[in-house]
Order: sequence, then C-alpha cells, then structure tokens
Amino acid sequence: MIMRPGQRLLMPVNPSFVWASLIGSLLIHMVANMLLWGRAAWAPDLPSIVLVFWTVHQTRRVGMATAFVAGMLLDVYQGGLLGQHAMTYTVLSYLAIAVHRRLGWFSVTDQALQVFPLFFLAHTLEAVLSLLMGGSLPGWWVVLAPVAEALLWPPVSVLLLAPQRRAPDPDENRPL
Amino acid sequence: MARATLGREPPAFFRQGPSALSRLIVFSSLALLAMVADVRWHMVQPLRAALSVVLYPVQWLAMRPLIVVDAVRSSLDGFSRNEADFQKLRQQLSVQAQRANLAEQLLLENRRLRDLIALQQRLESPSHAAQVLYDAADPYSRKVVMDKGEVQGMRLGAPVVDEFGVLGQVTRVFPLVSEVTLITDRGHAIPVQNTRTGARGVAYGDTSSHADALELRFMAANADVAVGDLLTTSGVDGVYPPGLPVARIEKVERRTDAVFARIYCVPLALVSGASQVLVIDPVGADNPARPAPAPEAKVGKSGGRR
Repeated sequence: MIMRPGQRLLMPVNPSFVWASLIGSLLIHMVANMLLWGRAAWAPDLPSIVLVFWTVHQTRRVGMATAFVAGMLLDVYQGGLLGQHAMTYTVLSYLAIAVHRRLGWFSVTDQALQVFPLFFLAHTLEAVLSLLMGGSLPGWWVVLAPVAEALLWPPVSVLLLAPQRRAPDPDENRPL
Repeated sequence: MARATLGREPPAFFRQGPSALSRLIVFSSLALLAMVADVRWHMVQPLRAALSVVLYPVQWLAMRPLIVVDAVRSSLDGFSRNEADFQKLRQQLSVQAQRANLAEQLLLENRRLRDLIALQQRLESPSHAAQVLYDAADPYSRKVVMDKGEVQGMRLGAPVVDEFGVLGQVTRVFPLVSEVTLITDRGHAIPVQNTRTGARGVAYGDTSSHADALELRFMAANADVAVGDLLTTSGVDGVYPPGLPVARIEKVERRTDAVFARIYCVPLALVSGASQVLVIDPVGADNPARPAPAPEAKVGKSGGRR
C-alpha cells in the first residue's frame, strides 16, 4: 500500500462506531436545529459531512445505499420534498467515491478545500431540485452552508479517526 | 482438483458489486421517482409514515435536551419577568372577557334571529389542544411539527389556531406527530373576508418578497382595501369555520399598469413563535358533496403550485 509520507497506520475501524456516528450526527443535527438555529439556511448539514467522511474512509462499508436511506430519513424529518435529500446525498456519495483515493494524499486542512466543491454542488443541486418541483429559494444565506461544512471537515475528520489512532497494545509509558 | 481453482470469479477482496456509476443511476432515479410521486401523484404518505416511525426514537431522544433547556429557562426566568407577563396576561384576559361577554350576547341574539329566519344552525366545531414541537428544518417551506398524531385523533386538513388567529392547517398526519403548513407557506392559500367591507378574497403565503407575510391576491386595482383592515376566515371553503382572525393589511400598492392591486398583510397568529395551539376539526364534513371531483381542493395547498 502506497501512503503519503508521514501518514500513520490506522487500526481497523469498528463497524458499530461508523453507524453510531452516523446516527449521532443525525441526532446532533436535530438538537441543533431545534435549539440553536431553527430553519436557518446557512446552517451546516452535519449528517452530510459524516456521510462523506465515511464514504471516503470506508468506501466498502458506507456507500450510496446508506446515503439514500439517510437522505430519505432527513426528508421525512424536515418535512420537505420526499427524495430531495436522498438525491443530493446519493450524488454527494458518488462524488465522495470519485475523490476518495485522491483525498488521502492531502493533509486534513487541504482536504477541506478538496471537499468544498462537493458540498457546494450538493447545495446547488438541492436548490435546483426545489425550483424544478415548484418550491422557492431559501435566500442568499444558503451560500454560507457549504463554507461552514468545509470548515467543519477538519475537526470532524480528527474526531472520527481518533478511535483508529489508538495504539494496538497500549501500555503505561506510551501516550495514547 | 477443486472447482474454485478453475473459477474465473475474482477473489472476495476485489468483488465490489455494481460500479459506482450504475449505483448512482439506480439510487438517483429512485429519489427522482420519490419526488415525482410526492409532488404529482401524492402517494408517498404510507412510506413517509413508515419512515417517521423508524425515525421517532431518534427524534424522541433529540427532544430530551430541548425539554431540559425549556425547564431550566423557565425556572431561571426571574420573578419580575413572570410578574410582567402575568400583568400583561391579566390585561389581555380582561379584554378577552369583555369580548367574550359581547360574543355571548351576540350569539344569543344571533340564535334568535337564525331561529326566526329558520336558517341552519351553525355547528360549533370540536377542538383539541396541541403543542408545537419544532419548526420543520426545510428552509424552502414554512411548516411546524405538532405533538399530536393520528393516534390522538388528528385529521388531515384540520385548521390550527393560536390565541391570536389562524396559524395554518394540518397537511400531513403521522401516527404520533403531525405537520402543520403555516399560512405564510408559499403553497398555502386561505379564503378570507375583509371585516370592514365584507369583500371576500384569497390570501396566499408569501415568503419571497416579505419575511413571513401574506399576500391578498386577485383584488381589483380599485377595490376598497385600506391599510389596517382586518381579514377573517370567510367560511366558504368548508374547512375553516368563519370569523377567525387571519391577518391585518400592512401595505397596498396600486399601479396603473396592473389589473390587480398588490396587497401585503401580516399574519395575526404568532407564525414564528407559537407553542400552544388549538386544532379544530374541519367543518366541511357536513357540507354537500361538490359537483365536480376536486381531490386536492380541501387541503388548500394546490393554490401556489406551478
């Protein structure tokens, strides 16, 4: 396996952690939506970040089927057009699969720049779909949503990779 | 020789199922099908209900911090604030009581008059109290979610009011929660009557030009409409009981080149902050059937669709 210089070997991922983090992101999204910003158009879409992350890092486990189901659930939760998020998440997942080999060669901050177009395209697609199906535009603040998602990429990556960075045989003299 | 040695199948590690592009095509056409089924055919309700039941545990869990924060906030709210609220409510109550007395008297008078001219008695619709849980997160529409569902007897198309006026209409009923489309939603239309002139019209939700407002459409440019007029439900739709306050007229634009005036109204109900609401059973059940089949007419959502 060819790796970027300085990249660490990771432990195998725990599948239940993948699913728990996906459900957890949905939960955080809901709580933030109810408590903090309500219907704001600029709010970052946390489930999509976690979904892209796992599609990039665990392409064989999390793919378009997961994205589709997550999108449908989010559509029902938001009460919007059924299939709107399913569509954007599927496309997002496809794009994530397309870039997943390249992304490993960049540091986490550079990855944020690389995934920004993905999120931007997803939001554009969502707006176009809404217009096609007879809805309205959410206003100019929606432009900030992909920026916020790209900014959240580094912290989310570090957080979700942390369990795999543990040493395989921990002892008392070595940190982590 | 074992058969596996001769097989041409790739080893398990290389087996990745269908290609990414074909999966993309399958899933995006599924999503497209769902969207078309939702918008054009109106037949995804069972699927929506099933998914909402799947989602309910997560939703229930997400509601816990909300309840805790609410409790903390209400207990931290100082005494003075409560006192001020109490005073305000008291004043409101006295005004309401006065109006209630007046209404009682008018009701009596009205009943006598109606008996006189042998009109059909107007039914007093039964109602249920409910609580708004949260704003639906979709920035493309204006909807809220209530804590009562099919199990508690919610019905599709039921009007929802708060203490100031009409808030909206139940447009989706799930087993345990239901969705209310607010009167300011772009796709929502409500038949209204101007209390000053008696002229009837239809008010549409208008989220584009004004923030959370309504627009009274199709009123002639020379129609008698003035700023400050009160609009109430007219009752001609067979959904809303007549006489519920809806909105107040905020601005009237008359242009020489347009046939219709542009009339902006502000809703009286707290569309962005209502928490305790009343759901009224739709009154249309007793009306005679319409001559022409109009399946969407009762839901009142079909107005704004292009």
